Amino acid sequence: MLLQIEQVTSWYGKNEALKQVSLSISKGSCYGLVGPNGAGKSTLLKILASIILDYQGKIQIANQPNGSQKDQIGYVPQEICLEQNLSAISNLYFFGRLYGLRGKELRKRAAEVLEEIGLSERGKDKVMKYSGGMKRRLNIGCALMHGPKLIIMDEPTVGIDPQSRSYIFQMIARLKKKGCTIIYATHYMEEIEKLCDGVAFIDQGKIIEHGAVNELLQKHAIPSVFVKGNQALPEELDRFGKVTNHHGGYLITTNTPIPVMEAVLHRYQDEPEELIQLEIVRPRLEDVFFSLTGNELRDDKKALQEQAMGGKW
Amino acid sequence: MGAVFILEMKKNLQDRGLLFWMVILPIILTVLFITVFTSGAEKIAKQEIITSIIPGYTVMFVFFIIISMVSTFIKDRDLGMTARLASTPLSSKNYLLGKWIPYMFMVCIQIIILFGFGKVVYDVQMKQPILLFYLSIALAFTVTGLGLAMALLVKTENMGIALTQVIALGGALLSGLWVPIEMMPEILQTVATFLPQYWAHQSFQDAMHGTLMLEDFFTSLLVLMAFGCGGFLLAMVRYPYFLKQARG
Repeated sequence: MLLQIEQVTSWYGKNEALKQVSLSISKGSCYGLVGPNGAGKSTLLKILASIILDYQGKIQIANQPNGSQKDQIGYVPQEICLEQNLSAISNLYFFGRLYGLRGKELRKRAAEVLEEIGLSERGKDKVMKYSGGMKRRLNIGCALMHGPKLIIMDEPTVGIDPQSRSYIFQMIARLKKKGCTIIYATHYMEEIEKLCDGVAFIDQGKIIEHGAVNELLQKHAIPSVFVKGNQALPEELDRFGKVTNHHGGYLITTNTPIPVMEAVLHRYQDEPEELIQLEIVRPRLEDVFFSLTGNELRDDKKALQEQAMGGKW
Repeated sequence: MGAVFILEMKKNLQDRGLLFWMVILPIILTVLFITVFTSGAEKIAKQEIITSIIPGYTVMFVFFIIISMVSTFIKDRDLGMTARLASTPLSSKNYLLGKWIPYMFMVCIQIIILFGFGKVVYDVQMKQPILLFYLSIALAFTVTGLGLAMALLVKTENMGIALTQVIALGGALLSGLWVPIEMMPEILQTVATFLPQYWAHQSFQDAMHGTLMLEDFFTSLLVLMAFGCGGFLLAMVRYPYFLKQARG
């Protein structure tokens, strides 16, 4: 294990931001962290990055206590932490110097990182002239200057175009291939499905479920069959699972999709042209997320709690 | 610390707004006021006015660096840079030093330019240059010490700008930077002695005339350093809260 988190508890004022969080992340993996707003994802990442020092519990990175090897960790914050009035190269030099890079080594590494993040052509331009996606890539690049083994990314794709997002995915895949371990916090479930080997769902400061992505899908998400046609559904389909109206057809949530499909095909065998669409709907991580955390808006709940406590002010 | 120092110096030297506030505006106002107040004056009186206005406006305008200091710390805090840097091997002590020292340099550069302008354009006397040098460093220390305290005390940039204006303009008014101190009411003359601007201005003027006694020089130096140290002390007390806020 590269990272071992044991019983970590942290506070935000009088409230517990993290409650007895325990996780193990193996070397070379990409591990997702998912949760609603205010769930404690960023708090956990800031603790791992030694930004928040006030916590209880034990964290070990490569068998060393947390904070003792900052040069092994690259932290990509949610915010764009760049000097907007300076060029991308100046920003990379700055972060490189913080880790002791100097002279030729610094220049060489900055050139490599610029290449890696796809900004070689624009390296001398001021950051303020960059698009959102370019800034996000540079934000990641700054965390890569010292060649860290563990990269902590806090929602690195917020508010960017699909091209930049895809580029960042490719970068992450390359980093993984090089043996880096990545912790990736996001709201986007498809990113977790695409990038991560493991995932932890965090809600109200607790890890409510964690494990390999496929295992969690098998454990929590029930597949469905979608049917769209010009004939009424066979009544007996009710016994396979819950039937709901969905996009002008029917969605049958069932653990046995094949018998359902057989029954539908049997129904349409005399008039196959009447059947418009029949498919198995793959279970999504989003379904797991909602089944674990519910659909309730967390911002509203938080605001109500604060109001009940007399407000922050 | 070196990385933060280099970055801050780069930022400051490329900041056109800072250049305007630190150099261009003081030069414009100096020229304007010297023109107004010396028109029709005799040569000796004219030189006296110039030797009052140049150090006076220099002292007043060095205080505006506080705005820039407030701005950089508040931006770093609010945009997450302070937190981001906490994840690197940079210590919080070196972060603070790396942010502060460039401003010391900037104030020294500002004083050199404004005094240099006075010398070249108005042939202002600099009879005790070594004392002027030490006084300039002491003034830079005072201003940046107070700036550091202000940057770590205020919650918003606007609050910092407002308070800096009170300190810079209020201090200038009460310390005789605009009007010769002898022409001010006695009570205000007493109030002036509690302000760093007064000590800096008086000792700069005397050193330019070549009449600054060592005893007065050390008194001024001590007062200026005391204000600077006071600022630093306040900043040190406040710094842990600032870091806590910044780290979320």
